[in-house]
Amino acid sequence: AVALCPVWTLLARRGGTLRELCGSLRGLAAGPETHFGFQTVTEAERREKIYQVFESVAKKYDVMNDSMTLGIHRIWKDIFVRKMNPSPGTLLLDVAGGTGDIAFRFLNYVHSVRERQLQRKLRQQQNLSWQEISETYQEDKLKSLGDSRVVVCDINKEMLKVGKQKAQHLGYSEGLSWVLGDAEELPFDDAKFDVYTIAFGIRNVTRIDLALREAYRVLKPGGRFLCLEFSHINNPLFSRLYDLYSFQVIPVLGEIIAGDWKSYQYLVESIRRFPPQDELKAMIEDVGFFKVDYQNLNGGIVAIHSGFKL
Amino acid sequence: KMAAAAAGSLRRAGWRLWRGRAVVNWQLCPPQRAIQASAVLRRVSDEQKKEPTVSSSQFDLHPNDYQPEQEPQGPHPSYTGQGGQESEDYESEEQLQHRILTAALDFVPEHGWSAEAIAEGAKTLGLSVAAAGMFHSDGSELVLHFVSQCNTKLCELLKQEQKKVQLGEEEKKPTDQFLRDAVEARLRMLIPYIEKWPQALSILLLPHNIPSSLNLLTSMIDDILHYAGDQATDFNWYTRRAVLTGIYNTTELVMMQDSSPDFEDTWRFLENRVADAINMSNTAEQVQSTGEAVVQGLMGAAVTVSSAEG
Repeated sequence: AVALCPVWTLLARRGGTLRELCGSLRGLAAGPETHFGFQTVTEAERREKIYQVFESVAKKYDVMNDSMTLGIHRIWKDIFVRKMNPSPGTLLLDVAGGTGDIAFRFLNYVHSVRERQLQRKLRQQQNLSWQEISETYQEDKLKSLGDSRVVVCDINKEMLKVGKQKAQHLGYSEGLSWVLGDAEELPFDDAKFDVYTIAFGIRNVTRIDLALREAYRVLKPGGRFLCLEFSHINNPLFSRLYDLYSFQVIPVLGEIIAGDWKSYQYLVESIRRFPPQDELKAMIEDVGFFKVDYQNLNGGIVAIHSGFKL
Repeated sequence: KMAAAAAGSLRRAGWRLWRGRAVVNWQLCPPQRAIQASAVLRRVSDEQKKEPTVSSSQFDLHPNDYQPEQEPQGPHPSYTGQGGQESEDYESEEQLQHRILTAALDFVPEHGWSAEAIAEGAKTLGLSVAAAGMFHSDGSELVLHFVSQCNTKLCELLKQEQKKVQLGEEEKKPTDQFLRDAVEARLRMLIPYIEKWPQALSILLLPHNIPSSLNLLTSMIDDILHYAGDQATDFNWYTRRAVLTGIYNTTELVMMQDSSPDFEDTWRFLENRVADAINMSNTAEQVQSTGEAVVQGLMGAAVTVSSAEG
């Protein structure tokens, strides 16, 4: 692992330079300058800084989420998966899914839906012979998830490591895969997934439009794009309170609990820099998604954007 | 050294992939939007082809395809494009939704009126199961779509009959016969789904569905009475509709728990109710004329008495 780390940073840096070259060649980037929190940096620098942020917070990621949001992030993620309402047989790609929160919730949801389906089927089949009953039990045992699968993709190796450990600890074994990949350039073929989710990750992507285009590419026709992200509050009073909490309390918590003030300062600043709900909705529509809509949670602290590839 | 060699080959492979992608993106970027916009939405006339051939005239027609904020418009008139090929508009999202719901009706006997049936319907059209996320998770739209379809079919039927009567091919039916036949024809459309119809009724009674379901019911009753030749413009308009709505609803409920062959009991119940209604209106007239006669008699007696005294 120690030997791989410098190689990876080398790759990341070289990759960053290559991307910069491509960016200027394609003439698509407005310029190599972008933001990292409230600072102005080049795109390459931004990628590296973000990688380092998550490398350092990976082990304390879940603890910090709980303390910063007072545990409410769990409710947000529950609402998110309920909105997805996946049916058994769904193939989910969870991008920037690091520690696996969405993936685990997805597996739980699909499992319970499948249980209900099987119960309903059994109730309808009251007059079967013993042979037939045992056959149904056998075939359904193999499909307790009903062919649903989730692929967790993250650019950061540390986050994936923590996620794999969590999965082992909580006992999730089947239907789960972990892939190292960049949201702006996914290592998957076209039209492979039913649902693409990115929860609290699109904020950290340097070129959001590229990530959205990749999302469009890997989704099957009829597939759904779902994005859960911190967003903007309309109510001025509430917004002031939220700012107060964000800038005064969160970095302090970061220092006390994780010993890392700067990463959490970055977190809070990046939330302010992220486009508001309607702007993100327009960006999603530009890429070609239909029926794009958003739902505010907690007055706008968090928003769920949803779009379909039609 | 091994790591460096591996990194080198990875880098080269990555660069090749990246460059290939850049080329593909560059070439496809301008027309990509139109092709993306038509990943699933078909051309109105074309059943099979999904990708338009590149001709500039087609792109001009499609600004309303990827601006879903506007109301989805119906098919526009077509004209011949540059290549001598007919350029037509793509279907709107609403039309696609109708197609999905129609396909989903086949799965209702097995899955009930639910999001699962819609997901199965979407699958038959070649879409991902996630497309069911476009609809409410309780299956409301499916039921409303079905009811609206039945009403349209009934209207067609009545129109055909009226045409036959006007052409002299058939005799005009007496009112009670007409009403009986119309209600029976409409209720017969429920027979394939009779097992799950109680579930549909309960969905129609959900508070957020009541405006739509009431609307559909009243417009259906309106249509029946219109074709029955109802010309009333007085208070009778309301009483007739209220009575017929009552007859329809009660007959529907009787049909739910009717187990006689071909629902004979239901049709007999219907016959009796219609006869009752017609009798009641006759009786009402009789009561009115009797009342008038009594009043006139009393007035005459009073005049006689007063003139006898005077």
